Amino acid sequence: MATFREQLKSRYAALGAVFIGVLTVLLIRAWSMQVLSGDEFAAAAEGNRIRQIALDAPRGRILDRNGQPLVSNRATLGVMVAPAAKSDTDMLYRLSVVLDMPLEDVVKRVESTREAALEPRLVAYDVPMSVVAFLAEHESEFPGVEVSVVPVREYPNGMLGAHVLGYTGEISEEGLKSPDMEGYELGDIVGKSGAERQFESVLQGEKGYRRIEVDAVGTPRAVIEEAEPLAGRDVVLTLDIETQRVAEAALERALADARAHDFKDARAGAAVALDVKTGEILAMASAPTFDPTLFIGGISAKDWDVLNAKDSEYPLNNRAIQASYPPASTFKAVTGIAGLETGVTSSAHSYYCAGRWTEMGDEWAKYCWSRRGHGNITFSRGVAQSCDVVFYEIGYSFYKRGREELQEYSRRFGLGSKLGVDLPGEVSGRVPDAAWKAEFNADYPEYRQWLPGDTVNMAIGQGDLLLTPLQVAATYAGIANDGEIMRPHVLREVLDQKGEPVREYEPEVAFSTDVSASSLSTMHSALLDVTKHGTGTSAFRGFGVDVAGKTGTAQVAGKDDYAWFVAYAPADDPQYAVAVVLEQGGHGGAIAAPAAREILAQLLGLPVEHVQATDDSR
Amino acid sequence: MAAVRRWVNLPLVLTVSLLLIYGIVIVHSAVSGFSSGDSMVRRQIIGIMLGLVPLAVLWVMDYKKLQDWLGPLVLLNAFLIISPLIPGLGATSKGATAWLQIGSVRLFQPSEPAKILTIVVLAIVISQYKGVIERPRDVLRVLAFLGLPFGLILLQPDLGTGLVFIFIAMGMLLVGGLKPRYFLVLAIVGVIAVGVVFKAGVLADYQENRLLVFIQPERDPKGAGYNLSQSKIAIGSGGLTGKGLGQGTQSNLNFLPERHTDFIFSVLGEELGFVGVVLLLGLYLALLMTALEISTSSGDLFGSLIAVGMISMWTFQILQNVGMTMGLMPITGIPLPFISYGSSFMLANLAGTGMLLSVWARRTGV
Repeated sequence: MATFREQLKSRYAALGAVFIGVLTVLLIRAWSMQVLSGDEFAAAAEGNRIRQIALDAPRGRILDRNGQPLVSNRATLGVMVAPAAKSDTDMLYRLSVVLDMPLEDVVKRVESTREAALEPRLVAYDVPMSVVAFLAEHESEFPGVEVSVVPVREYPNGMLGAHVLGYTGEISEEGLKSPDMEGYELGDIVGKSGAERQFESVLQGEKGYRRIEVDAVGTPRAVIEEAEPLAGRDVVLTLDIETQRVAEAALERALADARAHDFKDARAGAAVALDVKTGEILAMASAPTFDPTLFIGGISAKDWDVLNAKDSEYPLNNRAIQASYPPASTFKAVTGIAGLETGVTSSAHSYYCAGRWTEMGDEWAKYCWSRRGHGNITFSRGVAQSCDVVFYEIGYSFYKRGREELQEYSRRFGLGSKLGVDLPGEVSGRVPDAAWKAEFNADYPEYRQWLPGDTVNMAIGQGDLLLTPLQVAATYAGIANDGEIMRPHVLREVLDQKGEPVREYEPEVAFSTDVSASSLSTMHSALLDVTKHGTGTSAFRGFGVDVAGKTGTAQVAGKDDYAWFVAYAPADDPQYAVAVVLEQGGHGGAIAAPAAREILAQLLGLPVEHVQATDDSR
Repeated sequence: MAAVRRWVNLPLVLTVSLLLIYGIVIVHSAVSGFSSGDSMVRRQIIGIMLGLVPLAVLWVMDYKKLQDWLGPLVLLNAFLIISPLIPGLGATSKGATAWLQIGSVRLFQPSEPAKILTIVVLAIVISQYKGVIERPRDVLRVLAFLGLPFGLILLQPDLGTGLVFIFIAMGMLLVGGLKPRYFLVLAIVGVIAVGVVFKAGVLADYQENRLLVFIQPERDPKGAGYNLSQSKIAIGSGGLTGKGLGQGTQSNLNFLPERHTDFIFSVLGEELGFVGVVLLLGLYLALLMTALEISTSSGDLFGSLIAVGMISMWTFQILQNVGMTMGLMPITGIPLPFISYGSSFMLANLAGTGMLLSVWARRTGV
């Protein structure tokens, strides 16, 4: 029995060792989890219970110079689909039928990266009440679909100013990588073009957030912390809503006129109005235009294709700054000033125009637009009548002087480089010279040589010279403003949330031409004569205010002529400069000048009248 | 005073009382978010009160008399275990038909008192060998008495309780005099049996899944593995001193499954931290040490073995329950002694406590 009791002792010891061992292991495990790794588990517990929801800040509005809203925000009913429903093709098909949308657009939007991973995606907005009611009644057939109020961009004036205002859309992956997009997240709505893009940093407010406590199934239990979003700031533009309206209407009417007068392909053009003293852009129109509401909630594949189709004339292009054209006779002001400044010509310098010009040899004969010829003609009359021979002579003189002075004066007016307008996508146009030609034709040695004809063509605004409508307007604004070209701009001021200005645009000189007052005065008189006795006379008959301007009719290979008119007024104290170009519109004096007249009339407070002009000069 | 000393083991009474109070506090916190939370706390207290009846009866009764009832006890045990399988009496929950139910009223889980009965039966059988179990025949006889309840419990099927039976038997055989070589043989047989069980598909899908998830938690992050990871987050996030009673976010926001029953330890760990865990494990240590003292104090092997059975049962249940909440053991439906919500298990634990007190009251040298 004693031996049994002896054995028992060691057996009890073993039993005790087992449970002490068990308790020790559990204790060590708890120590390791709670004390050593407690912080990590605490973070995991916080991650479990806390959800952060981003609160989008209302985007700032865009206003015209008088505070009229051009772009604002409104709340509308949107149909949202939970991302989890992405693979429910049957349901998405039924939804596409109810919403009367192509299935591919519905699928594209559900797969959109706009919203954070779990948030529902906006599939359709401005949904009619009948559809909302249908979806509510058939809720069980549309799992993951909900209707909620969403803020969207609103355009109170429809398509007015679409190119300047631009449109918004989801930030692209590349856009996200750009340094000025720091702090943005995939799916944020940003300005994609125009002012929306240019002033993105002020329009975009600061996102708020809401930290909520959720339970295991995701039901919110309490709001832990909340930061209200800070609305974006309003941007006041220099645009004048009425002038913009007139400019767009004038452009459309001029194109219609052109089509009615044998220029069947006249479908595109641009018009721009500047304040010559400040560079403020009062109107900027481009035809054809587009509807920025198409981009709300993501543009449909069909609409995008239409906007980018080859025969659409690319309506998204803002031709006033993104297209460059041969300026044709509107450039004669620059050639003329260069001639006056260099002594190549003078106000009373006399020329003879026989309609045909053979100074460079018979095989290189060139013609004046007036085949009958202008006969004996002074420089100033040459401007008013837009006599090509006068400018062939001046151009040929520049060629013979061999110093590329015409290019130099062009550059003084800022041509060939960007004006630095505060809108995205501005192009610089082109001022051709010998170096450019050699490089441009590097692969074609026979075309590398700068020829006399190159300078002669450039002198009448043809050849390889290309300018944007804004450059043409700014050139004339510079002539009107004592040779100082103010930087064209659309920003007037930025308002804070209370409507107080926080930033105002300070006008600045973009280019100082350093042209003598006498040359400017000579050119001014000649340009004034254009609307009194010259090629722009019929368009400005009975206008009431003196206008200095210039017609232009550009020849473009394989196309009808492009019609130009550029002007500034009032001639005795210039305030505004206007340029109009109509692709394949025909004659500048007949088609473009009446449109410019309407815009100037609006700016000067005169009755806006549409006149039929008959000039077929260049 | 001497009479009290004779009848009452004060450390045991004190330890069990503290565990019960601790349990009510934690259960109260765990169920406070439930709509029926208050009535659940009341039911838990009533369960404890009911448990005091078998405690008192077994305490007063001379446990030695049980040795005369081996046959009836074996039959009663078998009947209890299979009773839920009798049509009209059983109810199925989480894959196991473990509840006795009459009409729509759930009475209790017979497998809980079966644990105590199994301890008594094995104590009777093993004590007959007077501390030496050497002959294979004897070993087989003991195993037959274990095999009956074990085999029947697998019919429910309730693998967790089956494992409790095995662990109880191991502890009792250790103290009851089984030769060490047999432990080796049993271990080998056990490993082979586990393999056969897996291969033969005896386990229900959920059981197999739980075991596989235990081995490889990332298998199923939102299913069985989800429970484990939420439990670990709860305990770990409690840190040194816990989030405070009733302040556990994992618990209150329903991240913790079965928080008042199987995962009650996770609530304790989250709300009272490592300090609370030390307190609980300290109480368990006191409980087991006291039971060990009672076992050694008993004049007869039968009484000693009953205490050893209780020690084994509690040790395994603590290991299994606490271990599973911390990822050391696979997830099974084993509750935490004296703490988890539920009357059946409480009743069994208190009945066992009554037997310990009975053994103590009849110790030698008084």
